[in-house]
Amino acid sequence: MRTASFVALVAAVGLFMTAPLGAHHGAAAYDVGKKVVLKGTVKEWIYSNPHCLLTLEVTGEDGQPVRWIVEGQAPNVVFPAGYRKDTFTFGDQVTVTVEPVKNGRPLGRILAAVTADGKTLGAASSQSTTPSVNQP
Amino acid sequence: MRIQVLGILVVATVFAGDGFAQTSSPDGWLNPDWNKPAITAANRKPAPRRSLAGMWAPAEGPGAGTQAQGVQLKPNNGRPENELPYTPYGLQLYRAHRALEGKDAVLPGNDNDPRNRCEPLGVPRYNHYNIRLTQFFQDEYKVAILYHYDNRWRVIWTDGRTLPKLVDGGVEIGGELREPRFFGYSVGRWVDDYTFEVQTIGMMPDDRVWLDSTGRPLSEQARITETFRRVDADTLVWSETINDPKVYTRPWEAMRMTFRQHDPRTDIQEYYCSPSEQENYNKVFGNPAAVTKGAP
Repeated sequence: MRTASFVALVAAVGLFMTAPLGAHHGAAAYDVGKKVVLKGTVKEWIYSNPHCLLTLEVTGEDGQPVRWIVEGQAPNVVFPAGYRKDTFTFGDQVTVTVEPVKNGRPLGRILAAVTADGKTLGAASSQSTTPSVNQP
Repeated sequence: MRIQVLGILVVATVFAGDGFAQTSSPDGWLNPDWNKPAITAANRKPAPRRSLAGMWAPAEGPGAGTQAQGVQLKPNNGRPENELPYTPYGLQLYRAHRALEGKDAVLPGNDNDPRNRCEPLGVPRYNHYNIRLTQFFQDEYKVAILYHYDNRWRVIWTDGRTLPKLVDGGVEIGGELREPRFFGYSVGRWVDDYTFEVQTIGMMPDDRVWLDSTGRPLSEQARITETFRRVDADTLVWSETINDPKVYTRPWEAMRMTFRQHDPRTDIQEYYCSPSEQENYNKVFGNPAAVTKGAP
């Protein structure tokens, strides 16, 4: 199945936050400051420690499918930002902005996401909170 | 001991809930509230005497206690003011630690952080690793701190017992050698009605524990002094000073963090370290992310 297009945006200044994410494994693997916007189909969403993992199938620039794996922090860390166990489900069409790793592999960490139902979420880290989910 | 502590938890939870009786709790599963109004003269309430009981979290938000770049007051960012006063041995230890965070970070898969093998972090590293919703319970003999990360807890004795004597291989109690512990041996006392001071010694040796996520070391000769100051009913300041002559040439302050009281009924999501999940994560993401560009 042909999925949505793949668009790389390098250093898209001002679109999204660039604060250090304080990941479980540090930032050494990431191409810090670079951003890639992925439009694709959800294959898997693992909501577990030490990091949540989202697998997306994206159509690459050569028209071939590319399987990206992008991460968020642990469930309790991303919860205030609005990420839940069912935020992504198999087959969803989503847009995810990620900071890719340096080595060119299709791996990255989630800076922002637009879910299948149009909800916009921030970075899957401690830096984001969605006030509406915190109101008792 | 576990049964005893659980008993404390039940009793303390019942009484701690009184001050929050007006807070709604949909379905009984309250989410953490990270958008509390600031404490001002208008809403400030006095702290109870000699009590730390409650659910506390960093006042500056859920990420304020992460300390990924090192202990709160001395982030490991290369700035001269944050360099630690290492002894030669301490510097040797630091250089042997391959951390995933800080100015000398290595790539995933190349580290030797005991955290990534799900080892207990010990005291004081639990103060410096994702300190988030933290529960305090107390009775007339002790204070128990329940850390969020990995569901760990520690006990601080307040019944007047003295701190053991630090000796080679552990501590001495009643003429007997006792084993070193990840959480050490802690005793606390009320300096005044709103200030609680804790001394901890007898931690694990320096090949078992780190001080923070950037690989700063800590040795079995460390003495940790913590101060908990109740500013008001909703505010607690938690300070920590490290005195470890084997690793550092002088005592230094690692943390002075303000915590905010949360509703004691708040649901706390698990934040555990599972070896199997860690292994899967490394296989699926961590190790591929660490491969050098161009490598097969």
